[in-house]
Amino acid sequence: MIVMPDADLDQAVDALMGAAYGSAGERCMAISVAVPIGDKTADELIEKLEPKVRGLRIGPGTDPEAEMGPLVTKQHYDKVRGYIDSGEAEGAKLVVDGRGFKMQGYEGGYFIGGTLFDHVTPDMKIYKEEIFGPVLAIARAPDYGTAARMINEHEFGNGTAIFTRDGDAAREFAHQIQVGMVGINVPIPVPMAFHSFGGWKASLFGDHHMYGPEGVRFYTKLKTITTRWPTGIRSGADFVMPTMK
Amino acid sequence: MAREISHFIGGDVVAGHSGRSAPVYNPTTGEVAAQVALASSSEVRGAVQSAKAAAPRWAATTPLRRARILNQFLHILEQRLDTLAEVINAEHGKVISDAKGEIQRGMEVVEFATAAPQLLKGEVTENVGTRVDSHSLRQPLGVVAGITPFNFPVMVPMWMFPVALACGNCFILKPSGRDPSASLLLAEWLKEAGLPDGVFNVVQGDKEAVDAILTDPDITAVSFVGSTPIARYIYETATKHGKRCQALGGGEKPYDRHARR
Repeated sequence: MIVMPDADLDQAVDALMGAAYGSAGERCMAISVAVPIGDKTADELIEKLEPKVRGLRIGPGTDPEAEMGPLVTKQHYDKVRGYIDSGEAEGAKLVVDGRGFKMQGYEGGYFIGGTLFDHVTPDMKIYKEEIFGPVLAIARAPDYGTAARMINEHEFGNGTAIFTRDGDAAREFAHQIQVGMVGINVPIPVPMAFHSFGGWKASLFGDHHMYGPEGVRFYTKLKTITTRWPTGIRSGADFVMPTMK
Repeated sequence: MAREISHFIGGDVVAGHSGRSAPVYNPTTGEVAAQVALASSSEVRGAVQSAKAAAPRWAATTPLRRARILNQFLHILEQRLDTLAEVINAEHGKVISDAKGEIQRGMEVVEFATAAPQLLKGEVTENVGTRVDSHSLRQPLGVVAGITPFNFPVMVPMWMFPVALACGNCFILKPSGRDPSASLLLAEWLKEAGLPDGVFNVVQGDKEAVDAILTDPDITAVSFVGSTPIARYIYETATKHGKRCQALGGGEKPYDRHARR
């Protein structure tokens, strides 16, 4: 998700919190990387994000106060921890570390705390791969062009978003970006049921997106019937390829 | 003995008899909550035969009648939203409000599918030649299958089967083995809504069941959501066996190959 310098940063932070940490990041449309434009935007964004990430209410999903539950399995928990280790080893700045989190009373559960990285670069594993956990990476870009290029050069193209007040930048983004589902000030642009869901590049193999009108096309085969009745039939055999008469 | 989560074939819950099963965990406590049966290829074949037997009658059922059943299913989902959300939480771990959101987004696809008579309208051209007319229509494929991931055990199956059923197909669902219970509730509630036996079937399983689906001669189309390496495998294998395929990935790497089924 690109955060432009003119974006409402409080709105962008709320959007990132929900989209990065909701469902513990186990969504294929989760926001895993935020790209603020310019260091000023990045510094302000992190200043606002950090206390919120530290303040995430984590608990069993049955607790109505909880914002985030555990990861799905021990294996997945270990994998997400491994990504945090790798981000640290590759030199990203670990702003909030969720590895130490323990859920009191549920010591056997697969809980991990919200994690925030700064200064993540496109060559790092935590940038290139889908972590599928509550880990948000900040990858700073000096300008919009660099940010758009980062998105277009990524192997995957499921979902992306831009936060801005600039209609011109938003239109440029919507029309040029090489991604199947795009949000303008909408962090998780999962299309409604009467549109269709599908990414581009390595995010979709096949000819049809899912549900909506594309779903109807996928689940049916087209038949075309051509009909004439005796008064429409002229006498004599046709030996040439039939053309419209 | 742990509770066994098994298959739903021909309108009934059917116990697994492959001799293979896998643990299902409660991620909040780390305890084993149940065992999920892992179907053999012959059990998958049985589900396909059940669907194939139901297919001609379901295809001949008018789109309006199909839509009414889906509408009844929608009413049941509305009434039992809390129950379904708790089932999702118990095996996936996501917070209840988020589980309800997932169900809601799935229900929107059911709502869309209740427009079946409108969605299946064809096209007509009068006089493509002198006193010759052409019309096009969309007919069901027959038996289709969906293979779905752990992260949305209700919503992603509901991205697939409501549209497939509305179009007159029979459906085989192979849900994730991590959180398989919701799929059986959906099957039971579809039956309660009036769906004929055999039109919607669930087989639990792992790679053996997936490969049985991808190579079955009577399955005509496969929908998949999961990770990219598996999406590629599903697409390549299904299309090699002459099937339509839509395989949606995200961005995971090969070492997680079998984890997200």
